[in-house]
This record gives sequence, C-alpha cells and structure tokens, in this order.
Amino acid sequence: MTKQPDYISKQKFMAELYRYKRGSVTRRHFLNVTGLGAASTVLGAAIPGLTAGPAAAGDIGDRAVLATWPNYHDPENFDAFTEATGAHVQVNVFGSNEEMLAKLQAGATGWDVFVPTNYTITTYVGEDLIEPLDTSLLPNYDPAAYDTRFAEAGSVDGKLYAVPKNYGTTGYAVNTAHTGGTEMTSWKQFFDMTMDSFSGRTMVHDYQLTTIGNALKYFGYSFNSVDQAELADAEKLLIDVKPHLFAISSDYQPSMRNGDAWMTMCWSGDGKQLNTDIPEIAYVLGREGGEIWSDYYAIPKGAPHREAAYALINFLLDPAVNAKEVLFHGYPSADAHTNALLPESLLNDPILYPAAELLTPLEFGAAVTLTDPNRAELMARFKSA
Amino acid sequence: MTQRTRNFLLLAPAGAWFLLMLVVPLSVVLVFSFGERGAAGGYVPAFTLEQYANLPARWAAFRNTLFLAPVGTLSALLIAYPLAYFLAVRVSAKWKMLLLVLVIVPFWTSILIRSYAWIFLLGGKGIPALIEFIGFPAIRLINTPFSVLVGIVYGYLPLMVFPIFVSLDRLDKRLLEASSDLGAKPWPTFLQITLPLSIPGIATGCMLVFILLMGEYLIPAILGGGKVFFVGNALVDLFLQSRNWAFGSAVAVTLIVVMLATVTVYMRFMARLSANRDDVSLI
Amino acid sequence: MRLYAAFVYLFLYIPIAVIAIFSFNAGRNASDFVGFSVKWYGKALDNPFIMDALKTSLTVALLSALFASVFGAMAAVALQGIRGPVRTAFDALINVAVMIPGIVIGIATLIGLVTIFEQLNPLIDAIWPFASDAPRLQMGKASLVAAHTMFLMALCIIIVRARLAGMDRSLTEASSDLYATPFGTFVQVTLPLIFPAILAGFLLSFTFSFDDFIIAFFVAGSETTLPIYVFSSIRRGVTPEINAIGTMVLGASLFILLIAQTLLRPRKGK
Repeated sequence: MTKQPDYISKQKFMAELYRYKRGSVTRRHFLNVTGLGAASTVLGAAIPGLTAGPAAAGDIGDRAVLATWPNYHDPENFDAFTEATGAHVQVNVFGSNEEMLAKLQAGATGWDVFVPTNYTITTYVGEDLIEPLDTSLLPNYDPAAYDTRFAEAGSVDGKLYAVPKNYGTTGYAVNTAHTGGTEMTSWKQFFDMTMDSFSGRTMVHDYQLTTIGNALKYFGYSFNSVDQAELADAEKLLIDVKPHLFAISSDYQPSMRNGDAWMTMCWSGDGKQLNTDIPEIAYVLGREGGEIWSDYYAIPKGAPHREAAYALINFLLDPAVNAKEVLFHGYPSADAHTNALLPESLLNDPILYPAAELLTPLEFGAAVTLTDPNRAELMARFKSA
Repeated sequence: MTQRTRNFLLLAPAGAWFLLMLVVPLSVVLVFSFGERGAAGGYVPAFTLEQYANLPARWAAFRNTLFLAPVGTLSALLIAYPLAYFLAVRVSAKWKMLLLVLVIVPFWTSILIRSYAWIFLLGGKGIPALIEFIGFPAIRLINTPFSVLVGIVYGYLPLMVFPIFVSLDRLDKRLLEASSDLGAKPWPTFLQITLPLSIPGIATGCMLVFILLMGEYLIPAILGGGKVFFVGNALVDLFLQSRNWAFGSAVAVTLIVVMLATVTVYMRFMARLSANRDDVSLI
Repeated sequence: MRLYAAFVYLFLYIPIAVIAIFSFNAGRNASDFVGFSVKWYGKALDNPFIMDALKTSLTVALLSALFASVFGAMAAVALQGIRGPVRTAFDALINVAVMIPGIVIGIATLIGLVTIFEQLNPLIDAIWPFASDAPRLQMGKASLVAAHTMFLMALCIIIVRARLAGMDRSLTEASSDLYATPFGTFVQVTLPLIFPAILAGFLLSFTFSFDDFIIAFFVAGSETTLPIYVFSSIRRGVTPEINAIGTMVLGASLFILLIAQTLLRPRKGK
C-alpha cells in the first residue's frame, strides 16, 4: 500500500517507537515508516499497545487545517470528510498569495494543506517551505487525467509538490443594469468607465498581480511586466483611477450583491456565482488579455497533521467530491474524471470555458511578479495615495 | 530580608519580562531597520541607511495618520465631553453607575464585529437609504474618510468618556452652586470652573485615544475599503504583502519616534494648562 | 442635555442592535433579513473551531491578566520606595510599553522571537539527549501570553501606582510605629488598600487581551483566538454565526456583571 522503505535501522525504529508512545506520531505513521504496515495484523498482537481500535477514525487525528481563498469550497464536502474520517476541517481564508507566503516565511502557521497559485510554487520550493508529495498517499490523483497546461506548475525540477485543484481566469464582473446598453469587452473600458459614469462604484483587487497587471493591459503591455517605464504608465493610470474607486478589496461579493458596487475585478468562479444569483451581473474577459491561472493543493513543510493533510487532499480529488466542489465554486476542473460527472450545461458555460479568441491572449502569472520589489512598492503607493 | 533584596525580588519578574519582550524585540527591529530585503522577502543582514532614505515612499501614510489621529481624537472629545458632563453633574447617584456601565457594554463585543455592523449601517441599504427615503439626495458614506472617522469615534468613545467623567465627578458641586449663587451665568461658570477642573481627564482621554489611533489598522481596513491608508496599514502590508522586513522595521522605528515626540510635546502642553488650572481653582 | 445623552446612547447601541437582530436571521447573508431563526446559535455552539478559539482566547486572557496584575502590583509596590537609576529605567520602560502601538508590539515580537528561535532551535537539537525529536520553540499561546502580559503589566503598574500615590502614608507609618513587621504592614494595611486597583488592572487586562486582534494576528502562530477566527470569517463573507457569537459573548459579560453586582453590593447597616 505504500512505498515506504522495508528496512530501517534499529536506532530509527526505537526513535519511532518512542515518538509513537509519546503520541507525537500516529499509529499509521509509525507502522508505515517502520515497515510494519503490511505485517501489522500479525505483529500488532505481539507489540502491546499497537492494537488500537478501528483504523479509520482516530488514525488521521481530529483535524486538518486548510489555508485557502474565499468562497472556494462546498461546506457539505467538509461535513462529509468529517463524517468519514472524524477529522474536522478548519478553514483559514486569505486575501493574496503574498499573504500566504508571508505567513509561511514567518514560520509556524499550523497549516496542513494550502492552496497556492501556479506562479508561486517555484518560490515556495526555493524557500524550502513546501513538501514534495508522496503520490502513494493520494490514490485519487491520476496525473494522466489532467490537462497538462493546468497541472505542470505543480512539479518543479521533476518533483511533484502540488496537485491541481481547479483553474480559472481573472476578468471583471459588471452590473449591466447601469451600463446604459454599452457592451463591455475590454480593460480599457473598465478603467475609462470607472473614471466616468461608474465613478465611486468600481472595486479592484487588494494585491499587486491583477490590479497592476490589468492596468498594464490597458496600455497593451504584458500582464507580467516588470519593466520600469511600463510600470510607471500603469501607476499613473491607477493613481488617476483611485479617487473614483469604491474600494480596493478582494472581498467584493457582498458589495456587488447589495448594489453598493457596480463593477469589480473578479475571478471567474465569483463571476459565475454572482451571475447565477443576479443575472444582470455579467462576467467579462478583457479583449486585451489578462490572467489565466491554476490553483493547487500542497502541504507546507512541518504540517502538524500530515496524515490528515494527505487524507483531505485525496478526499477532495475524488471525482465525485470534486464535481460537487465545481458546482459550488464555479471554477473549471482540469481533471477529465471530474468533468465526466458534470452536467453538459456547465461544461458549455461561457464563464467557465471562454471562447478561444478570448482565451488565447491570457497569460499565466510569472513567478518574478511575486517577489519583484518594484511591483510591491507600486501597489503601496497606489493604496496610500 | 533586607529592603534591597525584597525590592529586587519584587521587581525581578517585571524587569525580566520587559527585557525579554520589549527591549529585545525593539532592538531586533532597530537592527533590522538597517538591513536589506531578501530576494524573496524577509531580511538579509546589512548595514545601510537605504531603508530610512526610502521613507518618503510612505509619507502619504504618515500624513493620513497625522491628520486623522488628531481629528479623530478631537471628534471623540467633542462627543464624549457633554456625555461625561451629563453623567457626572446632572445624573442622580442612583442612575449614574448604570448609565456609566452602559457606556462600556458595547466594548464587550469584538471591535471587529461592531465595525462590520457599521458596514451595513453606512452601506447603500443602511443610513443612506434612510436619508433618501426621507427625501434628501442619496450620499455615499461607506469607504470614505468619514466612515473611518465614525468607526474611530465609535470604537474609542468609552476611553474618552471615562477619564473625563472621573475628573468631573471629583469636582465639588458646591463650587458650581456657589458660582450660580453669586449670579454667574452657566457658560462663564463652565468656562471658568468646570472646564479647567476637567483638564486632567481631557488630557488622559485624548492621550489614550491618540496613542491607539496612531497605530490603528483595523478600522481603516474594514470601514475605509482599503482606500484610507494609515501607517498601521502600511506596516501590515510591508510585513504581510511585500514581505519587506527591513523597510517595515524602518517604518516601525519612525512611527515610534514620531509618537514619542508628539506625546512628549503634548504632555508639556497639558502640564502648562494644568498649571493654569491651579491658578483658576484658587480664585 | 438629556436628549443629547439619549442620542449618544443610540449611537452606541444601534450597531449592537444590528448585530443582535441579524444573529436571528434565517438566511446566510448578514445584510438581508429573510426570516427569524435561532439556528445560527446552534451552529456556533456546535462548531468545534469556534469553541476552540473561545477556549484559546479565555486561556490567554486569563493567564495574561493574572501575570500582568500580580507582577505589575509587585513592581508597583517596589518602585514606590525606590529612587535612582533603577526607578528611571523602569519609568522609561513603562512609558515606552504603554505608548507603543499594538501593531508595533505585534511585529516586533514576531520578528524578535522568530530571530531568537532560529538561533536557539539548532542549539536545542544539538544538546537534546534523547533519541526522539527535540522540542522546537515556536510562536503560539505562550508567545501570545508573553506579549500581552508585557504591555498589560505596564498598564497594571500605572493603575496600582496611582492608588499607592493616593494612599495615606500615615497609615503605614502608624503601622510600623506599632511595631508591625514590614510584611505584616503590607498584608494588613497596604494590600487591602491596593486590592481594588489590582482587581481593576486584572479586569482591564482580561478585557483587552480577550478582544485583541492585532497583536495576536502576528504573534499567535498556529493558534486561533476568537478575534482571529472572526477576522477570517469576515473575509469569507459573514454568516449570522458570527453575529450569534458576538451576541452570546455580550450576553455572558452582562450576566457576569449582574452576578458581580449582586455579590459586591454593599450590605446595609454597615
């Protein structure tokens, strides 16, 4: 069942036994690393204390801590996980990849599973903050079933660090009740309208990648540009737009729903959720381009409940569970098994699966934007202006 | 046990605590402020004044804070003073305690939750809708400096009411009676007797609120929609977004210096006012 | 005047009313009232993470308030009889501790402790005599209690000191004139006099620690206090569950206040 070594030194065995007795590792971990897993039914009786009750419940501990994004999981799936394993899922919600990285860099987050975006994974590997995944503990992960475009960022130097959750685009949501019939198709319109009839009604994200990236797209520059002159143009636009903004915040659903905000930078799943509940809110991909991204499940170094982490990821990768997730959050999955379970109407949904001519100009975020000090400072100047 | 040993033992826990949790961390911040940012964030040891040279990049945050902190303090004072006066002078002893406790009770709900309630109240379906319903044109309240000011005054009002109440409550009511017996009008009585006597309370209240406002983060973050930016917000962003520990440390050191300077000047000024008060009370 | 006071109380209580009303909302959304229900109270009480966060908050607040008031009172009593450099140093530390914004305390404690831990952990690993993994120093409840205590201790020293300053010196002098030992004087005269101040310091500290978000946000490591939980939930879109917690905490505080008032009411005829 596992690829654990079948031989470990006597000293290591005693160390593991000691840890097991103190309760700092679980029975399953102990059996696995000592190679006793397969023989446990025989040996279990011989070593007092190893014959614990039914394997399922107590095995993975009583909790798994998940660091993720807002509106990103079906709560019912977590209830089912708790039912099946006895472990509760504690959800910590974050506002940006930068914040996740900052918390991990400062040490001791207590997370078991986190959800990094494609362009951040190499930085986590470089900073030694992420654990290589043991696929033997993820039987539901079938690499062959994934569209490689949305899975390849999970591997760095041939080692697997993260498995795909779902992908999506970053466009904007606009309440068409207020556009006066104008058809919204571009980032140029997004910023121009904000400074005109939408003044005081537009929201932009509270992190650098998309807010700066989409301002760059206004001028037709690359979404990932770190060129000083191009960033200067984007900065000027953002500073001009700022007095006309409703808010700089990545939590835009409440304001869009209650009508305070009319337009917001928006991830496609949020766009889908808003559009489903309020049909006049449309989701638009800028003609000039913008971001396409893929989110992953990963385990940080030093996760306190490692067993539960693997169990949770494996559970969420189960096509039936994943299909429920997709129906809840409205982001497309790159997993063929999951898609086989989804209704035809969803698979043809233009918000989830945009037309090719809109998809082609989109760019994946580049790792350099995450650590580029100039983009970070630009964002700070924009926010404090 | 000698007096000396006794004092040493009594002071040891507090001294050790201050050393480990105040002196050491602040020293680390000071050291970091002369360092550099690592390639992926964090801190790399160095000795450079670059971070301090870069401070003008956060001038806007300091400007906002140095504007809204005094304005917020003053607004809280203006709203709190009449209430404290009412509680101390006008209310019978029977009701005094109850009404005073009612000022603190809102404090027992998390400031986060209370601020969130203000999002609803100031948002499009709250007070603006009411104003429109009455027949006035709709106005934008949420995510403005005004909404941040409301949150600030709301959050810190009890801190202002209490010290003023205490100083007014001590005031000998016979003084006021004597004054009015002598034919003084209410306003001169207030200006010449009551107000000067309550200056210590005002001084304490303003200082408490001002100190808290200088480091404020939550209220602008929740009620300012990310558009109203204090030094506190700049610090959180520097540590949690751009992960620039060196520059963040320099901003923190600067904030401490600005505060110590402001508060020292303020205390001098208040001490002078209190000295005048002594003259007044002699009359 | 009365009208003005009524207006201020309205200002203070409208948000509380909003919180309480929406805690009974049958819908998920915290801004659209769709019907009456108490289900969110059940959900909040059933949620193990809320209960854990509450327990963490209570533990941290209790310990911080205890350390701060006891050590603070001890220091205040000692400082009363001291002049010279030690006194000057302590005065400076107390002032700095009270004046530094919470956010700076949080950040300084975080980077200060992380830096120290990075130095110490390999050392502990090296000298750890057992075969098992050596314990690792990391941010958590202990660091949070330590940070809260530092700042609250300064506050308690100020409060107790104010009480000591207002104390009638002739009492202690009379006591020692009557040949009481210094310790006897302390227990029988000083302690009863400063006890209300210690208690006030304890209660203030508890309240502050229980409600603190910004220091905990940086210092709590993997621990989740109630304010941190609430902050995280707010980003997820507030459900009435949060309102239910807020209303329950408020109700519990009022209840405790009521009991305290009944117990502490001065007896008649005394």
